[in-house]
Amino acid sequence: MADLDRADVLRLIDAAAPDSAMVLGLGGIAREMLAVAGRKGNHFISLDAMGQTVSVALGIALGLEHRAAPGKVIAIESDGSLLMGLSVLSTVGHLKPDNLVVYVLDNGVYLATGAQPTASADIDLVTVATACSWRGAREVRTADELAAATAWALTTEGPVLVRVRTTTTQLPADYFLEDPAILAEDFRRWLRAQSPQKES
Amino acid sequence: MTSADANTEETGETDQQVLAQRSAAIIAGIEAIDPDHVLHLASSTLKIVLSHFIDGPGARPGRRVFAMPREEEGVAIAAGLELAGARPVLIFQDNGVGNLLTALLTLSQAYHLPLLAVVSRRGGLGEYNSMIHTISERAEALLDAAGVRWFQLDARTPVGRWAAEIERAWAFARATHRPVFVLVNLMGS
Repeated sequence: MADLDRADVLRLIDAAAPDSAMVLGLGGIAREMLAVAGRKGNHFISLDAMGQTVSVALGIALGLEHRAAPGKVIAIESDGSLLMGLSVLSTVGHLKPDNLVVYVLDNGVYLATGAQPTASADIDLVTVATACSWRGAREVRTADELAAATAWALTTEGPVLVRVRTTTTQLPADYFLEDPAILAEDFRRWLRAQSPQKES
Repeated sequence: MTSADANTEETGETDQQVLAQRSAAIIAGIEAIDPDHVLHLASSTLKIVLSHFIDGPGARPGRRVFAMPREEEGVAIAAGLELAGARPVLIFQDNGVGNLLTALLTLSQAYHLPLLAVVSRRGGLGEYNSMIHTISERAEALLDAAGVRWFQLDARTPVGRWAAEIERAWAFARATHRPVFVLVNLMGS
């Protein structure tokens, strides 16, 4: 039984990694992160592209692997979206970007569209990730477990996955209607400011 | 008369020679771009090109070459690479165009992220698969309907121009901040 609300999880991750590049999955994850943390340059917000959050983060992680900053690249994905593009777990496991951290916020439903059930209840994502050769994976259900897993994930050689069981409580949040071209440029501008020079 | 006979009659070249020449031109075009990431998907017609990058001279230090399990995943990884300032190129067949449209339109196109895809044509003259034409013949129509810019390299363009055209397509994608597909026919037409 999960006792974590998604908004609380997002608040904790943002506070733990305020200077990390983050890719936010579509729907409630993006909207609730905006509600709890505001608009931030290090947050790349996916407005759609369901199933591709981890893939985008993988690309960023690969592209930044020779840079000292900004350190970890974090994807915050939902169970429904991850299951749409589950093959990326094998690609990540094959490439092993050591700077990639993936959180899967698993509420067991497609919450934004009316809480239709996903298949996640029967899927052991920790075992799937480790079977795909990820360097580590954990599942958490409480705030203390999340804090410990986050400390571990941010200091451990990646790729690592943290599955966070959450409730279906939603934070009231407006639709986010920014032009995606501006979102991309804002993120790139932030990234350039972190590490203007490649080390190799 | 086979297509190989036809080629021999018209140009003195066999299908295998045409394949080799066009593959070499594609390799030269992609190498001129000097990508740091090459994402690919299985293709028999692209075998020479893929071999160059996977385990041939193109598999050089500083370049990561890997398979994308599905075209849309490759589009999304390339979007992330582009955001990070990398230089990715995607290589796959046109029968995968249907797989990638949603990711391409909601990510690369919408976020104004350049992307170069080198896409081999299938399903035309010389095709040996009995069903692939059902999607491949519609590749241009699908891309047109999606508003994706594409250029085609086939027998109408001298093979000596192919490499330069691929390089120009890369520059065009960056200049116009969007995906650009180069459709390449390696099967002789």
